[in-house]
Amino acid sequence: MAEIYPSLAQCAIVAAAFKILLFPAYKSTDFEVHRNWLAITHSLPLWDWYYEKTSEWTLDYPPFFAYFEWVMSQVAKLVDPAMLRVYNLEHDSWQTVYFQRSTVIITELLLVYALQMFVDSSHGASKRAAQAAAISILLSPGLLIIDHIHFQYNGCMYGLLIASMVLARNKSTMLMGGLLFAVLLCMKHIYLYLAPAYFVFLLRAYCLSPKSIFRIQFLNCLKLGGGIAAIFATAFGPFAIRGQIPQLMSRLFPFSRGLCHAYWAPNFWAMYSFVDRALIMLAPRVGLSVKAEALQSVTRGLVGDTSFAVLPDITPRMCFALTLVFQAIPLLKLFAQPTWDTFVGAVTLCGYASFLFGWHVHEKAILLVIIPFSLIALKDRRYLSAFRPLAVSGHVSLFPLLFTPAEFPIKTVYTIFWLVLFLMVFDHLAPASSTARFFLFDRFSTLYITVSIPLIVYCSLVHGVVFGKSYEFLPLMFTSSYSAIGVVGSWVGFLVVYFTS
Amino acid sequence: MAAPSPSPHKPRRKAKRGGNGASVLNAHDQGIHSRTPSFPLAGFLWPARGVASEWELLPLILMAAGLFRWAAGLWGYSGFEKPPMFGDYEAQRHWMEITTQLPISQWYFHDLQWWGLDYPPLTAYHSWLCGKIGALINPTWFALYASRGSNDPILKIFMRATVLVSEYLIYVPAVVVFVRRFSRLSGVATWTSSVALVAILMQPATILIDHVHFQYNTVMLGFVTASMSSMLAGRYLWAAVFFVAALGFKQMALYYAFSVFAYLLGNCLFPRVNVSRLLGIAAVTAVSFALLVAPIVIGTLYDAARGIDSRPELDGPPPPLPIFQGITKYLDTDAIYYPIVEQLVQMVHRIFPFARGLFEDKVANFWCALNVAIKLKKYPSELLQRGALLATVASIIPPNLILFFRPRKLLLPLAFATTAWGFFLFSYQVHEKSVLLPLMPMTLLLAGNQGLTKNMRAWVGFANLLGCWTMFPLLQRVDLRVPYAVLTLLWAFLLGLPPTSLSAYFEEGSSLWSQWTTFFVHGFFYLAMGLWHVFEATLTPPPDKPDLWVVANVGVGAAGFSLCYLWCLWRLVVESEILPQKWVGKGTKPKTQ
Repeated sequence: MAEIYPSLAQCAIVAAAFKILLFPAYKSTDFEVHRNWLAITHSLPLWDWYYEKTSEWTLDYPPFFAYFEWVMSQVAKLVDPAMLRVYNLEHDSWQTVYFQRSTVIITELLLVYALQMFVDSSHGASKRAAQAAAISILLSPGLLIIDHIHFQYNGCMYGLLIASMVLARNKSTMLMGGLLFAVLLCMKHIYLYLAPAYFVFLLRAYCLSPKSIFRIQFLNCLKLGGGIAAIFATAFGPFAIRGQIPQLMSRLFPFSRGLCHAYWAPNFWAMYSFVDRALIMLAPRVGLSVKAEALQSVTRGLVGDTSFAVLPDITPRMCFALTLVFQAIPLLKLFAQPTWDTFVGAVTLCGYASFLFGWHVHEKAILLVIIPFSLIALKDRRYLSAFRPLAVSGHVSLFPLLFTPAEFPIKTVYTIFWLVLFLMVFDHLAPASSTARFFLFDRFSTLYITVSIPLIVYCSLVHGVVFGKSYEFLPLMFTSSYSAIGVVGSWVGFLVVYFTS
Repeated sequence: MAAPSPSPHKPRRKAKRGGNGASVLNAHDQGIHSRTPSFPLAGFLWPARGVASEWELLPLILMAAGLFRWAAGLWGYSGFEKPPMFGDYEAQRHWMEITTQLPISQWYFHDLQWWGLDYPPLTAYHSWLCGKIGALINPTWFALYASRGSNDPILKIFMRATVLVSEYLIYVPAVVVFVRRFSRLSGVATWTSSVALVAILMQPATILIDHVHFQYNTVMLGFVTASMSSMLAGRYLWAAVFFVAALGFKQMALYYAFSVFAYLLGNCLFPRVNVSRLLGIAAVTAVSFALLVAPIVIGTLYDAARGIDSRPELDGPPPPLPIFQGITKYLDTDAIYYPIVEQLVQMVHRIFPFARGLFEDKVANFWCALNVAIKLKKYPSELLQRGALLATVASIIPPNLILFFRPRKLLLPLAFATTAWGFFLFSYQVHEKSVLLPLMPMTLLLAGNQGLTKNMRAWVGFANLLGCWTMFPLLQRVDLRVPYAVLTLLWAFLLGLPPTSLSAYFEEGSSLWSQWTTFFVHGFFYLAMGLWHVFEATLTPPPDKPDLWVVANVGVGAAGFSLCYLWCLWRLVVESEILPQKWVGKGTKPKTQ
């Protein structure tokens, strides 16, 4: 099969040029977080890493990520040793900025490699579609905004995730896929949300015989179990020797945070909060009681602890239960039908469930849904119509991450560019579905996408002109409620597609 | 794909519909039939062949070009935190300050030591408009005196936005229309012309100077492009209007004036004399000039009536006129017209600084390079000025004579480029940034017949990359090495040029000898540029020659630009078919093809 143009490498080069130009752009506190971790891992002995708290940005990623920072710090000391001092808070010399920004670009090569693996693993007519999907992930506005402006290392992490999913596509490399996912878990524990899908898929497709679920393939179980144990031992072993695991865990899982993040991630709870706000006005007329202390909360759902005025309060336990329930439903189908496409669908649905119902979800976590979904969005037109509202809402919901005027044109124009380009390309490439589509859903998504234009205009321009600095929560609330509708809508749509195909 | 219509009248309309229909004749060398794209930029637009309509592609192209411009603008600008005088950025900001804060009659007189206004009136009006809009956001940005040297980050964003918006209102539409018309006239397919459009919009030199270093050159270049584009459409009066606008924005547009004149006059005389067209063009030009200065004239009269002096700092009798002192004798300084005369003379004096030297800094033109061998300072400036005038005239006569006798639409970019190269190389008072002027029409060649063939890409790319390289000393003075490297390398990569690829040099079917000559000549220059960067970065020049690297840059640059001049002139000679066919010979164009 002839090469497909443009190639991933070409796209990566042009994208890298753009990202280098973004070096002087706004960077969030995450930049300082990662600088601090470089300093901690470089200047302190291993056993102090998870106790160090000079900076408020303590190390709260699993050990492999800390090792990863340590490796980078070996180069960093050649660039600017000053960035490696723990007490050197907020250090951002231009060398530090150039170094940290370029590590993000360089480690993202892993994503390019993984995407190339994905394209190579697709055959025949779907190869063009795979190439388009791969490029759409590589150029994703989510990664651009979060990694290259806001500052994080998601490109590299998602590279590992995609690589592990692609490895799991082939019977011969399935073990590697599972082990790679274990490595990823030891780098960033947010991927635990996707672990149930991996567990069920590997259990059914690798550990049990394809013919009968009662015939266990013991050798495979041994290999997988042993491998995973070895990986976790490498990661956590050194800390376990000194009995530091409880401290480590308290860093990794800080349960003291509120239900909604500072800004509402566009999930189910955002809609719940929105309804609660609306009910405050309606409650007296209907005769519902309004909790006074919640009314007085000045923050009105903007900061930290959200308490609800009319609707019942939510506990972490309830979130956890809801997440598990909505993860379990698609996993039943995966267990019955352990194909790779179902697996990717199940990973996507696990991402959806945790994003929609999780406790203290950050809006950045939407990538957990968008990126796996992109891999199968071009399967047929029904998948695509579920993907469309997600692509719009997921990326629009990231806008509040960047609030500085210089980055405003970049985030909006880049996102619009990406949406126009890829929704157009996907539309050309997605094959017709074998089963009937539901037309109402398409109407809904067209309407939904159209609404985004006045919404963006209002939030970014009109509101500032009309209200100035007051009612700042309004655009945020609109954005997150709007995005929540899109995410929930696409979730429902995808659930239907998943179970009917 | 539809066969081309045999009738000579239909194809232009028909071409609109199909993506590929227009250029069957020369499609084979445009890469449209080949199986693989011959350079990365074509690869990026590859999936759009025959599928996407122009209107789907155009918004994407404009968004992508805009993104790169804005991102490049995040970097520093000329004079950022560099007191006492700051730089071009401060000059432009200061003009917004004086035009919005002072009566119009004082614009050309106010505190000339601090970035006094020295551009023609359209720039002043543009500054006034930007200043008015900016003052709505934050009036302190343009407060008189108090705002000098401001480094407010929000002001920077506003200023960057004015450049981008001005460019997207003038230069970008002009280029889009020009590319459409020019490629249609040359019989180039829509898809191919879209590739050319991206290449033209991503041209690194203009982005670096306007969006990073800071200036509004694209406004002037846009008016010139609009003027050329009107010529392509046969709208001669509009061509005159646009060109007056270009001159009214930046006097540097004079580089093109001879070509505009030669083309318009040629069109009035050949193939038959058309007096009404000639008179029409003359009248429209005169009216446009009148409109251009009208606000200044009326404002001066109004200010004079209100008793506002154009030079309030001065007491006593009005000082003599800066130039043309002789005429003062014949004028009544109290007459009602005197303020206008004074105003216009001052304007001319500010715009054309005859009193400055032959060249300002180190510029890669002929004089500066010659200065390395012979110290020109020892000659009287009269002589030098005359020498410069003679050399310039000698260099621009050939292209303009050709254009005059063969006023063909397809020759326009070549003639403009040759003339501008002549001015750049030989004229008086040239600035490094003036290289944008010859580069603009030369880059537009990409949209023409065989515009994306290897040979054309090699030469257009060579000129552009060399042009950026000669501006490196200017850019590195304000720490802009990174955007310089990124934007030039990106463009070289997109067009498959050195240092990223050598693929532009070897093509099946053209003579080996010419290929290798081009390769060696260009290779020598690219090698010199690369080595120069290495030396400049690693070695400090010997103490007795502190400017060694800059001088080397100038020498190499001037030699390369001379080659570009000769190449453009040669192409013009060949394509105008002004020489008998046998002279040009069967081995067409020994070095160039």
